[in-house]
Amino acid sequence: MSANLQYALFAVVAASVLVPALLVVTSRNLVRAGFWLLPVFLGVAAAFVLLGADFLAAVQVLIYAGAITVLLIFVLMLTRGAGNPQVRQSNRMIPWALLLSGAVGVLTAFVLGREFWPVTTETPVPGFTRALGEGLLTTWLFSFELASVLLLAAMVGAIVIARREEP
Amino acid sequence: MSAIPLSWYLGLAAALFAVGLFGVITRRNAVAVLMGVELMLNAANLNLVAFWRYLRPGVMEAPVFVLVVVTIAAAEAAVGLAIVLSVFRNFHGVEVERLDLMKQ
Repeated sequence: MSANLQYALFAVVAASVLVPALLVVTSRNLVRAGFWLLPVFLGVAAAFVLLGADFLAAVQVLIYAGAITVLLIFVLMLTRGAGNPQVRQSNRMIPWALLLSGAVGVLTAFVLGREFWPVTTETPVPGFTRALGEGLLTTWLFSFELASVLLLAAMVGAIVIARREEP
Repeated sequence: MSAIPLSWYLGLAAALFAVGLFGVITRRNAVAVLMGVELMLNAANLNLVAFWRYLRPGVMEAPVFVLVVVTIAAAEAAVGLAIVLSVFRNFHGVEVERLDLMKQ
């Protein structure tokens, strides 16, 4: 890919992540805010593709854009007053929140953005998904199993917590 | 080699994290607070993948960690939304400032 094409793609990805993200946290209609999560997650998936992590992009689309967005919108619709734009959805902390999140963002970008990282010119091994699968089932087998146990515990916990108790 | 410098990705992730933090602080609805948390987790994943690509593309530890983070995000969404449903049943609303029983 030529350099200009990469810059253009990165600009598109950054815009499609940041503008909807701002709408997610500021929109008065929470159902719309939930739907604005979709371009954010798809934009992050596109950034993963630009970085060469194609399998992670697929996982991002499946789990974030598919499952988590639907789950959030589902609960918004189960609870009352979410789609009503008359209800104030922000508290009175907006100036402090602007100050704090602005400071965190600027400081993080400043500290991480200095060019002292030992960037390699190495390119990733071909076959990202194969390398990831082999890693998951050999070197990082323990974290893989731990994640599956965590998912089982979360599933049981979600059912127990959301269940209606018998009177 | 990619033409985009590493710091661009780190800046994008920092901005996304700040936006998510703003949402977590200012939102009143518990589901909207969870949306802010999801934005912050996405920023962390973006950082991890960018560091993997630019610093150690031969070792797969960062992609594995991203998979674990996605798993934890899914578990957090499921349990968090179950808690939101339970709160809605008991408090007849999901505004987080209503949940002040421990203060009384």
